[in-house]
Amino acid sequence: MDIGLPHYLAVGAALFTIGVLGLFVNRKNVIILLMSIELVLLAVNINLVAFSAFLHDVAGQVFAMFVLTVAAAEAAVGLAILVTYFRNRGDIAVQDLNLMKG
Amino acid sequence: MTDYLANYLPILIFFGIAAAMGVGFILIPWLIAPKSPDSEKVSAYECGFNAFDDARMKFDVRFYLVSILFIIFDLEIAFLFPWALTLTGAGHEQAVFALWSGLAFLGVLTIGLIYEWRKGALDWE
Amino acid sequence: MTLAGVAFYLLSAVAVLSALMVVSLRNPVHSVLFLILTFFSAAGLFVLLGAEFLAMLIVVVYVGAVAVLFLFVVMMLDVDFVELKQGFTRYLPLGLVVAVALLAQLVVVGGAWIERAGPDRAPLASVPGLTNTETLGRVLYTDYVLLFQLAGMVLLIAMIGAVVLTLRHRPGVRRQDVAVQVGRSRAKAVKLHDIRPGQGLG
Repeated sequence: MDIGLPHYLAVGAALFTIGVLGLFVNRKNVIILLMSIELVLLAVNINLVAFSAFLHDVAGQVFAMFVLTVAAAEAAVGLAILVTYFRNRGDIAVQDLNLMKG
Repeated sequence: MTDYLANYLPILIFFGIAAAMGVGFILIPWLIAPKSPDSEKVSAYECGFNAFDDARMKFDVRFYLVSILFIIFDLEIAFLFPWALTLTGAGHEQAVFALWSGLAFLGVLTIGLIYEWRKGALDWE
Repeated sequence: MTLAGVAFYLLSAVAVLSALMVVSLRNPVHSVLFLILTFFSAAGLFVLLGAEFLAMLIVVVYVGAVAVLFLFVVMMLDVDFVELKQGFTRYLPLGLVVAVALLAQLVVVGGAWIERAGPDRAPLASVPGLTNTETLGRVLYTDYVLLFQLAGMVLLIAMIGAVVLTLRHRPGVRRQDVAVQVGRSRAKAVKLHDIRPGQGLG
């Protein structure tokens, strides 16, 4: 059997679900939360590139490039916030992230 | 399509060899090397006294800033590869437009570079 | 099954399994390493689809930069990670319920779409006669110029944000200023005093 679009969509769906599951089970660890977000974005990228290849339309790949850019920028700024928070508070416990609460 | 994938066959073979070697170098000593561990042998060794703490230590934050700036410029370079390839191939009008749009992109990021420079983020104190 | 088929199943199995390891391991350093493995397998899948440029971009940007960034942060923050792992089993049932519901939705939507779309065409990631990178370049700077400039803005903001958030100048550090050093002249730096014998500098 040939590998078609449904196969790639299945991989994308599995990665997306694992990423969302990671957001739920690692509630305390911000670093793994950020990694789960990266997994979700990777799943999105797989879907975009698979559709782009099977529909013969290059737009999907262009969008995957922008998703990649946003993902890298998000990781950079997110981890910078984490580092600053660690420097101010001395730990990275998520349940204490309520400094901005009124 | 098969021709295209055949181009990547050597990489696949290299990956196979690398994986086999990596697994082999872990597996063979585990099978044939003599081992008799005790607590003194496996603990960290420091000359003359007991080890104070863990062998891992905290990094300085400045390394982190350098690696963030590396990511940003990495992505900038990634956007420049297709730019360099297509400036000559397309029609004239398109190529001129692509040239200026790429230069505008570079200009925006140069503003960021100048900002970093003036803030002293590129200095190592 | 063809070699490409075998490669697809191998790569996707590695990707999914290592993604599971990323979210379930105790030690975040291992999580980062499995994240790298996931990205590598995804790059392999992109190569199978014909999207060579994106595959190499994933390797360069994610494996080369983002994963290293994560490793830096994990090593830099001296945190007790065992304590952070608490609550794993507490949230697992809820997470599984949401994840299964989400997967079911994705399968339903994807199945409906595929049923309507008709038979598959062969994957083709580039315009015939052009390489994949050239295909991207033909549209990226002209048709998608707005998005391209926005990506530049996003990168600029990320750069400024990172500098604002993490740059702290320590007080009392003497920096080297090359321009001042080079611009020093004899007149500014040397002062000659004519001191009479026996009187001192008074």
